[in-house]
Amino acid sequence: MSVLRERVTLVWLGLVVLTCVTTWGLSKDLFSPAVAVVGIFLIAALKVRFVMLDFMELRQAPIPVRVAFEAWPVVVSAMILGFWFATGTVA
Amino acid sequence: MATHAPPGTSSAARDVSPYPTDYKTWKILAWTGPVFLFAVFVLWGVVARNMPPFPPSATPDEVKAHFHELRLPLLIALSICLTMTAFYMSFSVAVARVMERIEGPGGVLSKLEMMGGTITCAPVMVTMAIWLTAAHEVNNLSPEIMHMLYWFGWLMFDLAYFVTSFQIAAISIVCMRDKREKKLVPDAVSWWGWVTFASFFAVSAIPFVTTGPLAFNGVISFWIAFFTWFIWIPSLSFFIIKAIPRLQAEDEAAGLVNA
Amino acid sequence: MPVATADRVKPRRLPGVDGVWVAIGADSVIFAILFLTFMQDRLKDPALFEVSRHTLNMNFGGIDTLILLTSSWSVALAIQALKRGLVDRVPRYLLGGALTGVLFMVSKSIEYFQKFADGLTPATNPFYMWYFTLTGIHLLHVVFGSSLLTYVWLKSRRGAYSSLNRVVPECVASYWHLVDLLWIVIFPLLYLMKAA
Repeated sequence: MSVLRERVTLVWLGLVVLTCVTTWGLSKDLFSPAVAVVGIFLIAALKVRFVMLDFMELRQAPIPVRVAFEAWPVVVSAMILGFWFATGTVA
Repeated sequence: MATHAPPGTSSAARDVSPYPTDYKTWKILAWTGPVFLFAVFVLWGVVARNMPPFPPSATPDEVKAHFHELRLPLLIALSICLTMTAFYMSFSVAVARVMERIEGPGGVLSKLEMMGGTITCAPVMVTMAIWLTAAHEVNNLSPEIMHMLYWFGWLMFDLAYFVTSFQIAAISIVCMRDKREKKLVPDAVSWWGWVTFASFFAVSAIPFVTTGPLAFNGVISFWIAFFTWFIWIPSLSFFIIKAIPRLQAEDEAAGLVNA
Repeated sequence: MPVATADRVKPRRLPGVDGVWVAIGADSVIFAILFLTFMQDRLKDPALFEVSRHTLNMNFGGIDTLILLTSSWSVALAIQALKRGLVDRVPRYLLGGALTGVLFMVSKSIEYFQKFADGLTPATNPFYMWYFTLTGIHLLHVVFGSSLLTYVWLKSRRGAYSSLNRVVPECVASYWHLVDLLWIVIFPLLYLMKAA
């Protein structure tokens, strides 16, 4: 088993890159708040999905369970973004 | 662990205990679980307006006004609820007997469950009595005393959680150890029991906060802690009620009269 | 004659026992409810939440995310090794998971002490109540999960697990990945979400 060639390693690298993009990229003032927040949470949802499918091995899970869990990042980020847009601006 | 004698003894039906198993009464006791939940949910929850509870941040004057406004519904709801809390004890006895059939007669965890379930009645009843008294006496008491009674009730009601935790843990442990191919209580219910067990600990924060998620009306200390328990009771009751005829069939197949 | 792997369809399964997924599902829903309530409270006073958010150190938060991702990766490698019967490689990956879990705890503790030193506590304002509550409950999950990882690490050193007996490590691993994915949402929610 070569660690470097394992799927979980590739997924880990992708997650690390995405983390750096959101923490040290999108959060900077280069982007408008709306772009930053939407980008950050879409990426967060994507990261959660990869942890679920490849770390938690839900790719091989019974379909109803997989669907239920995959719905979680979608619902959570939609809910967070929905509230964010409904919240007024700050002076 | 064998819970009854091997079948096919040549003598007449073999007695295991000196007392006959009264399956009918056993089943009735199991049904008192849902009855208890119904009473608490409808009376304490809806009629007495506790979902969510009147805020911990309320001032003494606000508490007195609240009890004054709701005096009659509170007198009705809390008095009946206090009396009907006893159903949780009867339910716990029925559950203990099912557990003994998995754990073995006189098992320690079934004893712990029965004690935990029965003692749970005490803080609930005392709390109902405290708030009932507050409502009854609202016109004679100062706002400060009313505020004190309100908090006395909540601190007692919430912080006694660990007796219920013991009950839930004992049930989950025993039911997960069931060696039947189709367990009497499915693992999903036992695992939900563990979720409920874990959710109770956050409630220890209530003396220290009056707003936010950990306050006694907050999302964690109220909605999550109470509703995990509210979901656990009917789920467990359903399978306990169904377990009794299953156990009766097992006893009859084994040629046992008393088990 | 060996069957070609393409012909062999592996049945769908959940790692560990089914019951642990009830707990994982419940925990996920509970945290989703907490996130919802946080956003509701934020709606009432976005300016306060924004000002308070600025006192959080997003570098700390980002590094914490990287720590947990690496921890999950290590634990995932342990399960992969176990599935393939590479029993001697399992302990090091589980240990890696446990140690990175401890590293997260240390990082969080430093962060909390800095806040206390600055006079910021859960009682300071609703944002800080949420910050300490969400990260605090998550931290309790990290402590519990790291204890479980330590337990399975110790047992794996004695060869307790194999490809045919891996239910317990799988349950622990699944729980640990939950702890990781919860932080993936908590971090941007508290540290990165700037106001409009």
